[in-house]
Amino acid sequence: MAVALEIDLAPVEEILEKSAASRNGDDEEFCSGDIISILQEIQRIYGYLPFEALRRVSQRTGVPESRIQGVVTFYAQFHREPRGRHRLTLCCGTSCHVRGGNKLLDAVKKVLDLEPGSTSADSQVTLETAACLGACALSPVMVINGKYYGKLTPRKGERLVRMMAREEQT
Amino acid sequence: MKRLGTVAELHAWRERIRANVRKGGHTIAVCGTGCDAVGASEVAEALDRAIAQRGLERSVLVKRTGCHGFCEQGPIVVVRPGDIFYARVEPADAAEIVDKSVAGGEIIERLLYKDPVTGERVIREQDIPFYARQTRVLLRDNSRMDPLSLEDYVANDGYAALAKALSEMTPDQVIDEILESGLRGRGGAGFPTGVKWRFCREAPGECKVIVCNADEGDPGAFMDRSLLEGAPHAILEGMCIAAYAIGARRGFVYVRAEYPLAVRHTRIAIEQAQQAGLLGDRILGTGFRLHLSVREGAGAFVCGEETALIASLEGRRGTPRTRPPFPARQGYRGQPTTINNVETLANVPLILRHGKDWYRSIGTDASKGTKIFALAGKVNNTGLVEAPMGATLRQIIFDIGGGIPRKRRVKAVQMGGPSGGCVPAQFLDLPIDYESMKEIGAIMGSGGLIVMDELTCIVDIARFFMEFVQNESCGKCVPCRIGTRHLLDLLTRICEGQGQEGDIERLEELARLVKAGSLCGLGQTAPNPVLSTLRYFREEYEEHIRQRHCRAAACEALVETPCSHACPAGVNVPHYIGLIAEGRENDAVNVVRRRNPFVSVCGRVCDAPCETRCRRVDLDEPLAIRALKRYAGDHNDNGRATLTRPVSGKAEVAIIGSGPAGLACAYFLALLQRCSTVFEALPIPGGMLAVGIPEFRLPKAALQADIDFILSHGVDLRTNTRIGKADALLSQGYRAVFVATGAQTGQPLNIEGERSAGVIDALSLLRRRALGEPCHCGKIVAVVGGGNAAVDAARSALRLGAETVYILYRRTREEMPAYEEEVEAGLAEGLELMELVAPKRIHTADGRVSGIELIKMRLGEADSGGRRRPIPVEGSEFVLPCDMVVPAIGQQPSLEPVNHLVERTASGAVRVDARTCVTSVARIFAGGDCISGGGTVIEAIAAGQRTAVAIDRLLGGSGVLPENTGGSLWRPAAEQMAAASSRCKEDMLPVEHRRNGFAEVVAGLGPLHARQEAQRCMRCDLERRHRRPVKQER
Repeated sequence: MAVALEIDLAPVEEILEKSAASRNGDDEEFCSGDIISILQEIQRIYGYLPFEALRRVSQRTGVPESRIQGVVTFYAQFHREPRGRHRLTLCCGTSCHVRGGNKLLDAVKKVLDLEPGSTSADSQVTLETAACLGACALSPVMVINGKYYGKLTPRKGERLVRMMAREEQT
Repeated sequence: MKRLGTVAELHAWRERIRANVRKGGHTIAVCGTGCDAVGASEVAEALDRAIAQRGLERSVLVKRTGCHGFCEQGPIVVVRPGDIFYARVEPADAAEIVDKSVAGGEIIERLLYKDPVTGERVIREQDIPFYARQTRVLLRDNSRMDPLSLEDYVANDGYAALAKALSEMTPDQVIDEILESGLRGRGGAGFPTGVKWRFCREAPGECKVIVCNADEGDPGAFMDRSLLEGAPHAILEGMCIAAYAIGARRGFVYVRAEYPLAVRHTRIAIEQAQQAGLLGDRILGTGFRLHLSVREGAGAFVCGEETALIASLEGRRGTPRTRPPFPARQGYRGQPTTINNVETLANVPLILRHGKDWYRSIGTDASKGTKIFALAGKVNNTGLVEAPMGATLRQIIFDIGGGIPRKRRVKAVQMGGPSGGCVPAQFLDLPIDYESMKEIGAIMGSGGLIVMDELTCIVDIARFFMEFVQNESCGKCVPCRIGTRHLLDLLTRICEGQGQEGDIERLEELARLVKAGSLCGLGQTAPNPVLSTLRYFREEYEEHIRQRHCRAAACEALVETPCSHACPAGVNVPHYIGLIAEGRENDAVNVVRRRNPFVSVCGRVCDAPCETRCRRVDLDEPLAIRALKRYAGDHNDNGRATLTRPVSGKAEVAIIGSGPAGLACAYFLALLQRCSTVFEALPIPGGMLAVGIPEFRLPKAALQADIDFILSHGVDLRTNTRIGKADALLSQGYRAVFVATGAQTGQPLNIEGERSAGVIDALSLLRRRALGEPCHCGKIVAVVGGGNAAVDAARSALRLGAETVYILYRRTREEMPAYEEEVEAGLAEGLELMELVAPKRIHTADGRVSGIELIKMRLGEADSGGRRRPIPVEGSEFVLPCDMVVPAIGQQPSLEPVNHLVERTASGAVRVDARTCVTSVARIFAGGDCISGGGTVIEAIAAGQRTAVAIDRLLGGSGVLPENTGGSLWRPAAEQMAAASSRCKEDMLPVEHRRNGFAEVVAGLGPLHARQEAQRCMRCDLERRHRRPVKQER
């Protein structure tokens, strides 16, 4: 990946420092080495988990790289590739399914010309699905950049996505 | 904030906060959590601005509270004091709320909640049925407190239970209290919480750990999210008490990362509690200490399993391990660990505060307390609902949930997420607790309750859950990893119409293996959705496999368009609608006739299953498909132009009965270029269409038009010809016989006095009237029954001169099988509907009817179809004076021609093959009402169609009917699609003109309205053609 070449790892160092500090502050060994929390922090900054960052975490914590990769690939929320600037998450929970979530997904896929789990070629949009977002009473639900939109129909969904694209241009 | 040094300081602080609050003015509570998705934060901001503009900051407080539960009505705003409840508030309403309701004490009518049943507006929150019928213990304060305010929680008795535990109770006393309260784990399995705590307390270990499991992964459950978002301190207090009881010093709240607000609120609450001395070292000045931190899950459902959760806490892949050792002995880092669900912990402070006896007073024998259910899916009032253990599904779905949208029927309720099962409608009245759910193949689970109506495909739901568990299987053990893959493959192929004989058995076998062989709860329960749906909805699986039919019209691969799929005869609905939109009525009629020759008939009396599946419903209302069919039938100049070359020559096939099934069979045989003879016992053809449906619904001319069209294809009709035995026709040289003799005898009431003069069953009454035979009608007529025949007979009686006509029905109007619009029309004409009564005997004077003795009924538990069973009320008998009684409680098949020949099923019906209608005797087929015992017209037509195809194949033909297209490429314009429009209603004959004759009541659509209505069609069929093939995700 070309992107991986110029990654500034300073934030990773910072996160590792902070983690180490909180470990010292605690009176027990309990808090130590929570790899998952560290990885989540890193992802919060970069939007994904750069390979270089993972290597650095391994070096600093002593946890083997293989184990870190194992953790990263296990959990659905970790991403090893950069994601788009806009993130769309469609809920695929039971209630959303029963109330026509699959048709909403079809409509959004068509507008974006993207499959779930992929990012547009211009790195603007990532389309994702979630097992359940816990907003079942408002199903079907879609989250655009952290904001929840409920009681959607395929048409409303299309409109939201188009709106997002327009904002992008201006 | 100063640390609270003693218990007394906490109490003193609480008093101070309360004193301050009392001085305050108004509070406007805005749901700040769940309703965010529908714009609550914008509403709160608008309220803030409105208050600032008016300089009311000191007397009015906008409080962003936790979830109010009634998500359907969000954003919700409650103005206190007064508890004025405003629903679906928009930012634009903010100024008005501040001006009128806060400053002026006025109520804004239009923002009030409107009861969908009574139509009344309700002012106060607690008077709304949705809230009034719940038992809100855990959720009570959610809508009053700011989740980010420790003061609010403390003012509401927060941390009083912790103070009590620390100052007055030993850890063992706490455990005893919880044990005796009967609290069971709310995560799903229902393990007694006190026992769990005792195990952990007694386990050796220095640094025991308490974990709050908020990895609420079950799709369809969101009570944990709501509790953590709305009252995080209550959960922390529960954890503190649990930690004190088991002797833990360290704790984690493990929250799904999909719940960012819950994570944020919990983090803030922990910070606040630490500063106040309610967490950390020397809590409330005692020796007890507890350090809590939040850990975010990273998106793995399996981490809800306790050993997997621990692995995840330790920073490893979240895979489960074998138990024992149980976490209570060896959990987080080898230390004894207790893992409790959010809702369980939320109960703990309440039990300590109010006492175990209070808690035991709620619920059933074995399951105490309340349960929060996440009510979602096809139900009117979606949201969070709290009910005592032992409440029934009916109470939750109908009393609290307000029933099903568009009055559809409940088909099933999915309980307990992917580990649970589908509970069919017959269990609507079963009290819900841990044990009862297990017995019927579901589980209580976390309380996700998803209501499904007839538009939900059961097989698709099973596939959906299997896809979920397959995705979430951690892969550690083979039965789960590979077994669920195979189960999913089987289910997928059934949903895609590739199912094979034996697939159901394969599913069952595999499900058993996965259940028995998997390591953790995920795999052990993964087959539950399949097994429970197979148990209660096996026939739907069979339909998918054998007939490639999905009755819900939901399985994409099987369904070209939902309307056509729902039509038993397979009429290409979108094409003929499109042709009507183009103004090509002649072509439209021809499209219908490719699969259904009865255009005029079905345009009037079809039960229109197509409309129940119309996707326009998502936008506004379904298309008036039946009315459009009628329009095309009435407004075309096709004359008698046949669809294919008429047949001639010697008839190969004999058909007994000229009802819709018989004539349809003859017609489709003619399209397949085969000659047939139709024998009819009566002097006129049409069967029940002619003598069972009165002319005010189906005029003779309309029926005749369809029959003439059929006969013009060369069908040989012989009326006044009764056939005794079907096999005799075979020996006369016919190569196949189709028995379509209908169900023409009414079921007797089997009560005393039934043979007296003045009792005539509905079918006889209708037949006499249709054949022009004399029929004397009484002055006061009592019709017994609730079906279409009952309503038809009653409306005929009105027209024959009766003064008063009662319809006596043992259930209520809601359960009546008669078409809603016919009941409506009948009532408008003056029918009197008497609900919940059943006949006991017929009183006579001089051999004539003088009255009917009735007993009152009440509705009891659901029957196998989900309708509530009528139960007689002892001693409630009364006599209704009348001079005529018309039983209309069902039909009996007329099977003389085959009685001596064919095999019967256990229930006495003739056994026929569902796909070909062939009986146990070769070359003898049977279909329509004589098999179903009284079905719909379109089902009879479909049976005739299937038989024609089967007979053609039997006789060496291809069985291929004319191509089912119409060539309409008309599409609605984008703006037509987006704009909501209402369904056109057909004109009706004014009521005052109806009673003096049998003139048709419904007038039909005119060209302008018909064109408009047709243009509402969304043409789902064209959309589908443009859809790209679905990518297989492997």
